[in-house]
Amino acid sequence: MQEPNDILQVRNVYKDFSGLKVLTGVDFKVKENEKHAVIGPNGAGKTTLFNIISGKYKPSSGSIIFKGEDISGRSPHVLTRMKVSRSFQITNVFQELNVLENVRAGVRCDHGLRYHFLKTPGSIAEVNKKTEEILTLVGLAEVKQTLARELSYGQQRALEIAVTLSTEPELILLDEPTAGMTREETGEAIKMIDKVTASKTLIIIEHDMDVVFSLADTVSVLHNGSILISGSPEQIRNDQRVKDAYLGEEGD
Amino acid sequence: MKQRSHASLLAWGTLILVAGVLLPLAVRQYQLAILTEIIIFALFAVSYNLLLGYAGLLSFGHAMFFGTGAYTVAIVINHIPSLSFFGAVILSLSVTTITGLVVGSFLLRHKGTPFALLTLAFNALFYAIATKWHSITGGDDGLSIFRPDINIGFAQLSTSSIPAFYYITFIIIGLVMLFSWYFTRTAMGQTVLLMRENEERMKFLGYNTNVSRLILFVFTGFLAGLAGIFYALFFQFTSITAISIDMSTIVLLMVIIGGTGSFVGPIIGACVYIYLQDFLSDITDRWPFIMGLIFIFMILYVPKGLSGLIYSLIERLRGRRHLSRKVEIAE
Ligand SMILES: Nc1ncnc2c1ncn2[C@@H]1O[C@H](COP(=O)(O)OP(=O)(O)OP(=O)(O)O)[C@@H](O)[C@H]1O
Ligand SMILES: [Mg+2]
Repeated sequence: MQEPNDILQVRNVYKDFSGLKVLTGVDFKVKENEKHAVIGPNGAGKTTLFNIISGKYKPSSGSIIFKGEDISGRSPHVLTRMKVSRSFQITNVFQELNVLENVRAGVRCDHGLRYHFLKTPGSIAEVNKKTEEILTLVGLAEVKQTLARELSYGQQRALEIAVTLSTEPELILLDEPTAGMTREETGEAIKMIDKVTASKTLIIIEHDMDVVFSLADTVSVLHNGSILISGSPEQIRNDQRVKDAYLGEEGD
Repeated sequence: MKQRSHASLLAWGTLILVAGVLLPLAVRQYQLAILTEIIIFALFAVSYNLLLGYAGLLSFGHAMFFGTGAYTVAIVINHIPSLSFFGAVILSLSVTTITGLVVGSFLLRHKGTPFALLTLAFNALFYAIATKWHSITGGDDGLSIFRPDINIGFAQLSTSSIPAFYYITFIIIGLVMLFSWYFTRTAMGQTVLLMRENEERMKFLGYNTNVSRLILFVFTGFLAGLAGIFYALFFQFTSITAISIDMSTIVLLMVIIGGTGSFVGPIIGACVYIYLQDFLSDITDRWPFIMGLIFIFMILYVPKGLSGLIYSLIERLRGRRHLSRKVEIAE
């Protein structure tokens, strides 16, 4: 079953919220360094799937295998330390803190600065260096002293990604990173995402089909609580069931 | 900007140090005793504000630590005759810290109303133990103690006079208070602030927020315990008041009067509360009534407390926009 280069396997995952069946047997695999897109209509359960992989919710049944280890039901902080990191569909950062502090919060966690009673967050050169690197990568270096809540919408979304990257993950889950952006902004954001996730594994939820087909190696379609099909962008584009279930809806 | 704030910090520090050292020469003994009490309650209030202001946790049971410190120091001094001053303090602090760990482990998963109610319930339990366990705590009669002298190898320092105890309190609690201020800028202090800001995201950044809450709870219990120890040593007496829910309410009022939005707020609150109580109880028997009215007025019309009032006055004088950040977050 398990191929050596599968970094993540989602096996027969079910999730219901007090009777509401959201996921009904989700199965898919992600290879190391793959760019994997998850698409599906509103309410299909995409975010729920991310919530389960990243530890926010436990699956009702089924399992999540990360690097050969069953991680289903583990807490978010444990998974983060195992180098899984996710972003949020609705920006979920520290609004009253500046950009630098937002990113440093994640970076310092892995450098003995979680609960330290003597050292200050900025006291380790390595932490400051990594923080600056991430800020430069996502293009926020210029506004690092600005409070998160004072950023433009596009910058907020970039910060969401920066915070996600701050824990130096190997598996990155991005939940609609370009939602609400203009065409140009989306183009820029995707270029940036492509750059920052190079040599990492990415799972991205995305509605914009142009983005999906240009960025992803593999696409999975989530429909009615399970994966309709997983395949190359070509296969997905030409699949009749996908056209019926999803792409058709986009057109109207 | 940065340098100027460092310079003004240094200036303030020096001023407080000089004033603290010279004051006993200038004021009457009675005033000095009041000042000692203020310093003790200032630490209690600062520790409470680390929960309320910095972590956003409303506790109705902070007196359980204050009282545990006060009772333990009285009990160990009475039962271990040769115990030194610092021996008694350290032993009592250890007991308070363990108490914090035990109670904290029941509370670490809770926030908001459940947290508040649980702290209230624990405080009631501690109070019940103190009243009923007569053979150890003296029940309603309380416990009298003598302050041990301080032994520093070659010399014996008497702690019995008011100025002597004032100096000891000023130095020890002053240093601990300084550390508490520094704590708010450390990684742990900032972790607490970040959790108040967005606990969910902290989890997704690799922080075990339950452990963070436990650490903070134990630390604030430790500080409150130290205040309680000095309270007992100061009055040379521990009574049921020290561990009562009244005492938890008093510290809450001090912090609210002073303001939760800054480090110094609770210190101002402790000053005002103790002076007011002293002043009013001199002129009328109905002083609790008058204080009650003052508190209602404060909470209704000065919700950010005196420190908030002072800050916004300063901002206005400087003609600057008022900063709406709740607690200053430093680098
Ligand atoms: N915590 C929850 N409790 C109850 N129902 C939930 C919960 N989370 C999600 N749901 C429900 O599960 C369904 C799937 O939601 P989910 O957010 O996973 O969809 P999605 O595919 O991400 O949609 P979108 O494209 O709109 O983001 C929805 O009907 C939603 O109301
Ligand atoms: Mg979603």
